[in-house]
Parts: sequence; C-alpha cells; structure tokens
Amino acid sequence: MHAEWTKLRTTRGPAWLLAATVAAVVAVGAASVASVDVSQCPAPTECHEDTTRLSLLGARLGQATVVVLAVLAITNEHATGMIRTTLAAVPRRHRVLWAKAVVVTVAVLAAGVLGVLGALATGRAVLPGNGFTAANGYPPPSLTDGPTLRAAVGTVLYLVLVALLALGVGTVVRDTAGAVTTTLGLLYVVPLLVELVADPQWHDRLERLAPMTAGLSVQATRDLDRLPIGPWAGLGVLAAYSATALLLGAVLLETRDP
Amino acid sequence: MPAVTPYRSAVPRGRDGFDRLLLAEWTKLRTVPRWMLALVAAVVLTVFAGVLVAAGAGTETAGGGGGERPAPDLGVQYQDGGRFLHRPLAEDGSLVARVADQENSHAWAKAGLMIRTSTRQGAPYAAVVVTPEHGVRFQSHLSIVGSADDGPRWLRLDRSGASVTASVSADGTDWRRLGTVRLRGLPPRAEAGLFVGSPEAVRAQRQFGGENVTSVPTVGKASFDGVRMDPDPREPWRGHGPSALTGPGARDHDQDRSRAGEAGPDGVFTVTGAGDIGRYQYGHDTSEMVLSGVLVGMMAIVALAVLFVTSEYRQGVIRTTFTASPRRGRVLAAKAVVIGAVTFVAGLVAAFGTFLLADAVSGAGLVLPALSEGPVLRAVVGTAAVLAVVAVFSLGVAALLRRAAAAITVVLLVVLVPQVVASGMPLSAARWLERLTPAAGLAIQQTVVRYDTAIGPWAGFGVLCGYAAVTLVAAGWRLRRGDA
Repeated sequence: MHAEWTKLRTTRGPAWLLAATVAAVVAVGAASVASVDVSQCPAPTECHEDTTRLSLLGARLGQATVVVLAVLAITNEHATGMIRTTLAAVPRRHRVLWAKAVVVTVAVLAAGVLGVLGALATGRAVLPGNGFTAANGYPPPSLTDGPTLRAAVGTVLYLVLVALLALGVGTVVRDTAGAVTTTLGLLYVVPLLVELVADPQWHDRLERLAPMTAGLSVQATRDLDRLPIGPWAGLGVLAAYSATALLLGAVLLETRDP
Repeated sequence: MPAVTPYRSAVPRGRDGFDRLLLAEWTKLRTVPRWMLALVAAVVLTVFAGVLVAAGAGTETAGGGGGERPAPDLGVQYQDGGRFLHRPLAEDGSLVARVADQENSHAWAKAGLMIRTSTRQGAPYAAVVVTPEHGVRFQSHLSIVGSADDGPRWLRLDRSGASVTASVSADGTDWRRLGTVRLRGLPPRAEAGLFVGSPEAVRAQRQFGGENVTSVPTVGKASFDGVRMDPDPREPWRGHGPSALTGPGARDHDQDRSRAGEAGPDGVFTVTGAGDIGRYQYGHDTSEMVLSGVLVGMMAIVALAVLFVTSEYRQGVIRTTFTASPRRGRVLAAKAVVIGAVTFVAGLVAAFGTFLLADAVSGAGLVLPALSEGPVLRAVVGTAAVLAVVAVFSLGVAALLRRAAAAITVVLLVVLVPQVVASGMPLSAARWLERLTPAAGLAIQQTVVRYDTAIGPWAGFGVLCGYAAVTLVAAGWRLRRGDA
C-alpha cells in the first residue's frame, strides 16, 4: 500500500492528470453557468433549471483524465514489465490490485472534492448575475441544502467509481490504448448512441443502463421524477460496472501469467 | 595538364523512393494481428451501431419532430404551402404587381408573383418574392435562381413558352432581370398570380436543463397594387391554399373559390397565407442517423492510428525507422498516407455496409433515401473520408505527444465531447462547438438542410482537414527538431 502510494507520488504524470481533472471540472462548469441565462426560458420562474447540476457539468470532461490516471496505474507496469517485480514482491496478487484501488480512490477523491467545491463556488458567483436569483426560485447552490450536498458528494463518488472502473478495465485489458479506448467508449459513445434510439421505452431502458447517464443522475437536485433513474440508484448502476470490472481484473490477475 | 575525371561510384544508387517507405509502413501495419483486428472491429462496430439505430427507430421518426410535414410524398426536403391567388396565363404573357405592404411575420415571409404548372401539391413553379429581411429572390423548386437587395417592390414575371423570366423594379418602369428558369411541362394555360406565405418560426426555450425547440406557424399578410396580367384572361381570381390557420381570426379556406375580400374594388389585393414553398427545414435526416454509428467504429480507428506511432516509440523501433530513413518528415507522411488509405477503405466497407443493412432491417419507422442521390452518396463516402482524416489527425497528435494514453484521450475528447457536453448547454453555444472543433467533420453526413444545421457538409469537413493538417505539420516540425 505504501509502495503504491510512492509509485503514484513519484511519477510526474498522476499529479498533472489530477490537476487537469480539477481544472476541467471547474472550467467546463464555469463555461456552462456563464452560457445559460433566464432570458432563454419562457419565464424566469418556469425555467426549472437545475443550477447545481449545471455547475457540476464539468464532471463529464473531468472523468476523462481520471480514466487515464487509473488505467495508467496498472497498464504502465505491464508495459514496462515492472508488474513482474511488483507481483514477485507481493505474491498474493489481488492485494496489489486492492492497494492500487485504495491509492487511486484517495487521489481521485482529493481531486474530486477540490473540483466540485471550485465548480460550486463558480456557480454561486456567476449564476445570480444571469437571473438565477433566490427571488426567481433558484437559491445559490449551497452545501447545507440536502439535494445539493447529495449532488456534490455524488459527483465526487462518481469520479471515484469511474476511476475504479478504469482500473478494472486496465487490469483486464493490460494495454493502455485498449483500456483507455474501451473505458472512454463505454462512458461517452454509449450515451450518444442511446440518444439516437427513438423508441421511448428502449431509450429509457438504455439510459438506465449506460454508466455515464445513470451515474450522473446523482447530480440532479430537482424534478427528480423526470430522471430515467433515481440519483442513488443511478450511481449504484455505475458502482456495479466498477465492481464487475475490478472483480474480473482481480480474477484474471490471479490466474494469468503477467 | 591532363583532365581529371572526378570519381563516380559505379554502385547504383539505393532506391530512396517514397513508394518503398509506403510499402514498409504498410507491412508494419499489416503484420500486427491486433491492429488488423482493430480495423475489423471498427467496421463491425460501425455497422452494428448503425443497424441498431435503424432497428430502434420508432414510428415518430416518420411523423416529424419539429413541425408537421405538409406533404409526405414530396420528399423530406420540399414543402408546398402558402396562399396562391391565381388566374390562367397564356403561352406568351406577363404578370406585373407591386408589393405595397408586407407584414413582418417572419424574416423569410414571402409575398410576390408565382407561376406554376397546376395547383396540384408539388407542381413545378417559379416565384419572385419580396421578404421582410432578405430582399427579393427568384426561386424554383429548391433552388434560388436570382436575388436582389431590399428596395425594389415592383415584380414582373414574363412567360415565353416554358421559360419564365423574373424582373424587379423600384418604380415600375426601369426593370432589371433576375434570371430565367425553364419549367418542365408548363401547359399552355399555366396558373399565375399572387403568392403569400410565411414559414414556421423556430422557438428555442430552455426548460428542465435542456432546450426545447418548437416550431410555431406564422401567418403572412401582404397587399399588392398595380396588378396587371397581359393578356388579360378575363376570368375571376381563384384562391388556393390556406389563407390562414385555424384559431382566432381564422377564415375559411375553401379551395378554388373566388374571394371578394382579397381583390378590393380599388385594385388593391390583400392576401394572407401560412406555410412556405421551397426547402423544408424540419425533415429528419435518416441517413445521418444511421451513419452516426461511425462514432463507435471511430474509437477503434483512433486507437489504431495512435498506436501506429506510439508503439514504435515505446519499443524503440522508431530509432531503426529513422536510421533507415533519415528524412523524418517523409516517414510521417508515409505513415499518414498508409493509415489514411487503409481506414478510408475500411470506412467505405463500413459505411456502405451500414447503409445497405440498415435499409434492409428498418421497418416502417425509418425511410432511407436512395443511395444514388447525390447528398446520400456524399454522406456515405464522406463517412469513410471522415474516418480517414480522423486517423491522420490521431497520427499527428500521437507523433506530437508520443504517449498512447494522452493521444487517445485528446483525440476522443475533441471529437466526441462537443456532443457530450453540448447537451446541457444552450443551443447557440453547442452550435459553436459543432463548428469549431474537429467534430465539425461529421457534418459531411448531413443529407438534408435543417434549421439546426451548424455548418455545411464541405465546410465542416474542411475544418476537420484543417485540424489534421495543422497537427501533422506541427508533428513534422517536432520530429525534425527533437530526439527520437
């Protein structure tokens, strides 16, 4: 465990990737809140704008760097052959994976908290200027508010679960390019295809199953009945994906030759 | 002093041709089983996703998302609406009128003169019309034959056999020709007269964190004076088409009935009409929907193109490559040509396969146009071209960054994320993302012009090509400057 922490700390890549994650979450959030204005709605009070969700839109971009970080945590060792040394030092192989999972979790947790707090602070600063005032029914996002707290915590957990999913896929695929492509494809391309399925029943079903759309439903703070899946249930879907990938990775790590 | 012949080696010069380099790169690509697998996977995934979309398309695709299609049998791109007040016009004759006044019901509301073979829906027509904000234009079917700036309000249509010439004038005496069209099947007794139309207005409203786009019918109203038909047919004016929509203030719209209210006693005609003639902008682009499965296949292509460069760096083979061929720019060019050609061929297989299979599985909900139509063929071949250019772009990014994970992430983000992030943003912001990022290249898949089209097919493809060219040049520069 300590060894994994040192590996993460002493290579330059992860620090950059974590910084990029924070920057992406905050920057895209800022761009989104700045581009939305009540004048685009029929009436300011009828906007039904989920200001918290809008502020946290950056998670959609930030997850990409998280994926790269988590995939590299395992595939880099395969690429350099370092994995043989690691596994020789820790003969109970699955413990290596758990140690990596814990370290990645802690790192992404830290970056996620920073990013989410930054994005919410940006939203608080920008949104009232665009007409999303308390008078119009849009109190500024605040962590003391239950749904907003759920969205904030949920977004951090979302990023962590994406990281664990990527770590699992990386362990299974063992190849950086393949793992990054597979994970990003699962996250980004599946929702794009779901959008094209016109049949409403299938559309809803697939939206509940796609890891990104399901997982990000945790960001909703209002009009929950319009969601394809409940906030925590959606995050649960993503967690199921992550758990499956990690377990499969652990089994393969035990049984395959490195 | 005897003349000294300078030494010339008798050994023939080794071939340093670009073709050898191409062959070498092709061999590298061909002999890695994983890469060939990725290529096959790209084709299979594209076809699979396209067929899935085709099979999942419900019946609402045919019904239209934005507005109601006026006449389904005219094709997805054409509508024939508006109010037409007409009288028969002989083989050689003319029609003159002044648009005295026009309500600004829509920037593209139309008021002017029209001649058509019959009043049947979709019959060939030619019309010269005044619009509130876009000057005068002369149109026939989907094309704009001529146009003039705002100012002239006098319009004239001259018929000579099957050819129709439109002219405009500011004062009714000094005429300027706008253009001539030939109308196929124009009978000796063609219908000519006054036309008023007003297209549906698009209203984008933000609600529940997304943007709802609805189309609202508008009603155009215009008055004409100085109406003169030569030779005078001595027949009453007849109305055709809805004069207004149902609702408050709606008037009956019996067809082919003389309307006293429209032709006033003082020679001033006041005509109201809803609907538009010409290009219909709310049609579903079924070809684009089906071909968008290429986004899935593109993932594999991006990974392949990136690995084509980064794996050489990873294993140090790049040093051998550069020793064998010291002109590094040419190595990069050879790689670009090989990956571009290979993915283009794979893309052709994928795009044609998708289109043909989707046509076979699609039920009543999805109607695909014929592959022989120009825009459809452009979309299908363009899909392959987009794959090829994205591959070259990925290659350039990979040569710049030299790291597989970084390169794949960067390419996928710039190609896909505009579509992912844009869903929460206002439409205007999303449109700009679709114009400025490499994702613009996907515009070549459009086969119909829609109200929400961000960028034209060729312009969008040009944007993608620009990105690819810039990254390739930057990569070539970095290759020449730095260590391998």
